[in-house]
Amino acid sequence: MLLHVTHETHYDYSPAVETAQHMVHLKPRNTDSQRLQSHHLSVEPAPANQTESVDLQGNTRSFFELGARHESLVVCARSLVQTHVPQPPTPATRQVGWEPVRERFRYRAGALYDSASAFRFSSPYVPQDDTIDAYARASFSAGRSAFDAVSELNLRIYNEFKYDAESTEVNTPAVLALAQRRGVCQDFAHIMIACLRGMGLPARYVSGYLLTHPPAGQPRMVGADASHAWISAWFPEPNAADAPDASCGGQWIDFDPTNGRCAGEDYVTLAIGRDFSDVSPMRGVLHGGASHTLEVRVTVEPLPPGVTAPQLVHESVAVRAAAAKAKAAQVKPTSG
Amino acid sequence: MNDSLFDTGVPESPAERAGSLAADASPGHYDELRGAVRPLLRHAEHPATAPSPALLRDAAIPAEALATPVGAPPHPPDLPTAPDTLPLAPPWQHFFDELGTDDLADLPRRADLLERQVRDNGVTYNVYSDSGGPPRPWSLDLFPLIVSPDNWSRIEAGVLQRVRVLDRVMADVYGPQQLLQQGLLPPALVQGHPGYLRSMHGVRPPGDTWLHIAAFDLARGPDGEWWVVSQRTQAPSGLGYLLENRLAVSRQFPQAFESMNVQRLAATYTALVDNLKARCAYGNPPHIVLLTPGRYSETYFEHAYLARYLGLTLVEGSDLTVRDQHLYLKTLNGLRPVHGIVKRLDDEFLDPLELRPDSTLGVPGLLQAVRCGHVLVANMPGSAFLESPALLGFLPALAQHLIGETLQLPALPTWWCGERAAMENALPMLADCVIKPTYSGSGQRNFEAVLGSQLSRRELDEWAGRMARQGDLHTVQRYMPLSQMPTWQGNTAGGRIMPRAVLLRVFAVSDGPASWRVLPGGLARLAGSNAQIASMQRGGGSADVWVQTRGEVDRSSRLQPLASRASIERYRAPVTSRAAENMFWLGRYTERADNSVRLARLTLNQLAGDDANSPPLLTWLHRLALRNALVSDEVPTAPQSRRVFERALIASMGDVKDQASVGSNLQSIRHAATSVRERMSPDHWNEIEHAEIDFLRSSAAMAEENGEARYSTVAAQRMLERAASALAAMTGAQTDHMTRDDAWQLLSIGRHIERLSFLSHALASGFESGSVHSIAGFESMLALFDSTITFHARYQQRRDAAAMVDLLVLDHDNPRSLAWVTHSLTKRLRRLASTSPGSQGDLSQPLPDTSLWELESLCEPDSELHYPALARLLEDCEAAAYEVASSISAQYFTHTFESRQSVGA
Repeated sequence: MLLHVTHETHYDYSPAVETAQHMVHLKPRNTDSQRLQSHHLSVEPAPANQTESVDLQGNTRSFFELGARHESLVVCARSLVQTHVPQPPTPATRQVGWEPVRERFRYRAGALYDSASAFRFSSPYVPQDDTIDAYARASFSAGRSAFDAVSELNLRIYNEFKYDAESTEVNTPAVLALAQRRGVCQDFAHIMIACLRGMGLPARYVSGYLLTHPPAGQPRMVGADASHAWISAWFPEPNAADAPDASCGGQWIDFDPTNGRCAGEDYVTLAIGRDFSDVSPMRGVLHGGASHTLEVRVTVEPLPPGVTAPQLVHESVAVRAAAAKAKAAQVKPTSG
Repeated sequence: MNDSLFDTGVPESPAERAGSLAADASPGHYDELRGAVRPLLRHAEHPATAPSPALLRDAAIPAEALATPVGAPPHPPDLPTAPDTLPLAPPWQHFFDELGTDDLADLPRRADLLERQVRDNGVTYNVYSDSGGPPRPWSLDLFPLIVSPDNWSRIEAGVLQRVRVLDRVMADVYGPQQLLQQGLLPPALVQGHPGYLRSMHGVRPPGDTWLHIAAFDLARGPDGEWWVVSQRTQAPSGLGYLLENRLAVSRQFPQAFESMNVQRLAATYTALVDNLKARCAYGNPPHIVLLTPGRYSETYFEHAYLARYLGLTLVEGSDLTVRDQHLYLKTLNGLRPVHGIVKRLDDEFLDPLELRPDSTLGVPGLLQAVRCGHVLVANMPGSAFLESPALLGFLPALAQHLIGETLQLPALPTWWCGERAAMENALPMLADCVIKPTYSGSGQRNFEAVLGSQLSRRELDEWAGRMARQGDLHTVQRYMPLSQMPTWQGNTAGGRIMPRAVLLRVFAVSDGPASWRVLPGGLARLAGSNAQIASMQRGGGSADVWVQTRGEVDRSSRLQPLASRASIERYRAPVTSRAAENMFWLGRYTERADNSVRLARLTLNQLAGDDANSPPLLTWLHRLALRNALVSDEVPTAPQSRRVFERALIASMGDVKDQASVGSNLQSIRHAATSVRERMSPDHWNEIEHAEIDFLRSSAAMAEENGEARYSTVAAQRMLERAASALAAMTGAQTDHMTRDDAWQLLSIGRHIERLSFLSHALASGFESGSVHSIAGFESMLALFDSTITFHARYQQRRDAAAMVDLLVLDHDNPRSLAWVTHSLTKRLRRLASTSPGSQGDLSQPLPDTSLWELESLCEPDSELHYPALARLLEDCEAAAYEVASSISAQYFTHTFESRQSVGA
């Protein structure tokens, strides 16, 4: 599929912001199932300077600084991405038991290194938690294949949780969302990652977009889409999982607990991290500007158009952030 | 054992007497004083002297606990053991024989001197929990820990090896990651460690050096050997305190210090600073700053002290800004490039753009500047994972792999329970070990270290269960009984020499590319006398560390207070916007305190006097008291009830919740001064601190009294009098003992602004209330302007408006006349504008032109005997003072304190 994504972020500040620095993850990366054809990032007002760099995971970050007083900021990323249906797991990969995968990532002297271990540990939004471990355990019975267990967990979260944009905030911990059995895609992804890591398996957070379809007979509304988040789980090749001295091949498979399915060619990956904190689409530090409003408009269009699929639930982390009133993070006068 | 030091008529040497007077170390602990260990005795044999083991814990990380051993490291069989009192070890014999005049009998005096010196130098250690209260004095023992040349050379060689290895580990982790790939380092201790910063990956630090300052905590075992307990790399503390310790302690033992060939410290600090400057990629010369979390940090004293000693600019995160990936300091004169940072801030707070978004202590964009190679940071961010105790067990193999050497200085046996085999080894020994958090200091996965020996069987089983479930989080370290050094315990009879457990912190600093040296000294940390667990935070003490050398004593110095390079550089140091703002407020609060003290004294005097029956005078005093917040507006006016008014005034003097009471002004002086402490002489600082403590203590004591004593005018006057003389001393120090740079101009401007607004209001309201028309009111006004003597010398018993206006408004020689204050304020504002490029015009513009003031028109009464021209002038003065104050803030300070927030989408 050839997908065109427009992701526009619009801030209004009151009073005006004096200076600001931002770091954004808005450039889709290349993966086994997608190629970035073109990309353009525009920032208004024009930044004093702007740089791009690639992080440890291969995501592209852009930094820019605004040196002059400004009352609004508009960041618009336009990307053209060619997507393919991700490679399905091989029959052999489906067979690998979850315990051998866990054992593979348990350290012992001289153990073989698997770079997926970067995603096996707690991270800021995904702390270890006993209740999450207990929730996960139901899917991880002894001897079960890792793929079956993860697939079932994906469906359990989809079925047992209610999608509710009002129930959580951008920084709601996974534990709370679990207790409520409610949340949005970011929460479901964090819960599922916590479950997998709790079982000793690597799992990563994927930030991106999902193509949606207007109701029959209606035109596509510009800006009605949103950014999305899902997870990716690691399935080492069978021999690699069993024998620590074998070569470390394997496959990352993307699961979307918000929609209870695996990622397909209607998914566009922006960036991959341990959790939201590694890859938040936009992050910034403002000087001045006590309060702000935020509007995020995302449009995903197929080129050429004409693909049909059922309307899917997905959500925007950013739109909810807009609702949250900005809190001044710092007041530092020591005297006065 | 003889408890007294003073009743011996026997002609023994001082060392022999010290030996017979000093208590022995506990059995099983190495006795520094005697160079031996007494075997452990069964309780039945020696019930009275079975002491509880003295434990030490690390100040930086909770619970560095060590206790009585039941196992390794073993006692070497050939060590001397003593059934009875042994002679002193040679260094201690030497020490006591060189005490000098009056030897042992002089110790109580020296202990007093030492304590006074620590207090006078203002050495403090803040405890986070009581940031509101005054800082706690640093606890320093009279005796130094003496380290022999042989012992030191082993420590030195071992520490040098370790810092090399740690530096290479860090280089690999942020580079090729071969140690992970080869299984030499568990991923859980790197990728699983919250202190591993992904954003530092691929960075090439200047000089390829990641660590410039590393601290190692060492313990001496019963075998007399030193063992590594832990290491600190993020922002280790101690380099400043240990200097202060050295200065204070060596002064008490000049003879011993000279004759024992104690190695000096200055050259190592110089090597560090020289190397940092040489490694900075930019700047000629490079500008290096010391980044502190601020005055609430527990070790803030040492940040200020070190910055001054090393000749670095002391800055907080809000003083710095990143523009186009370069780092700058915000100064009164605009942005000034910064090329290097010595940081005393934990990594996670460094950059709210990439690390913790809620950090208010860091600099947004700093990591970008670091990645671009524009800034050297000592130490480079991302070293926190090296501090994990779990790493200790992997270091021997890492050393072999990375530098091909066997570590010479062993660490206490340590097992990381994330490795099943290690956990299985550790579990049976749990009762003889300490259980430490692998990821200490990292929020939710943290727990307090516990001593196995203090746990019940059931508790031990619970811990073993947790370790089996979450092995990664737990690290087990073998106990070792700490050596005990002689300390001085002062008491009313003089004092005693008592053993206390000691942990030695030593420092490796970089002196070239991939080259380090070990500071020949350190910080000895002492366990509390009866505390089971001690730390600096819980009141443990410290001691100087004397490293003896066989070679030459290096006498180079940075410590000539009048002519050192550091002091010269500091003189030229830029004025940070923050320092400028605090100086401004220091000036304003000093003047406010001065005004409120004078007003309170005057008011109490008048209320007590016989001639205070004039209602206009009382009305005037009441208005001034209200305006200057000496009483709240609920208090009835003075004419209604003099007694209630007086009581309210006395009761609220020390009320620090009330924004402008005398006590809160004194407190605000200290707060502002703390932030610019590096600009103050110790005397000046002491004056500030003691004025606040004295006033608040006295007023609290008064509030405890019952009946009339609670509102005693005499006692209140006495307090105010002491505050007045303290303020006079502060004014003297501000005038005579501070460099008159731009920051000082702001201090002075702050004082003038307050003076102008206070006096013009007082005068206006004196005329308005009619108070000046009575003799008492007239005299009170003169007193408030501190002009009584001049007035009567000039005008004798004349008491008319013209004479008053002449002296209090127009006189150009009276430092409290409005013309003088206005004129002098104008001058200072113009001078400030002339040295600050880019300043926006003349801030003195709102001030009235004093040359237009004329006595005749000002003293022209209207039909109701008011002076409209004078009233207008006074109103203009007061308004101008406010206007100048806000334009100063807008022009010079907004970059510092403007609110900052993090956003995400």
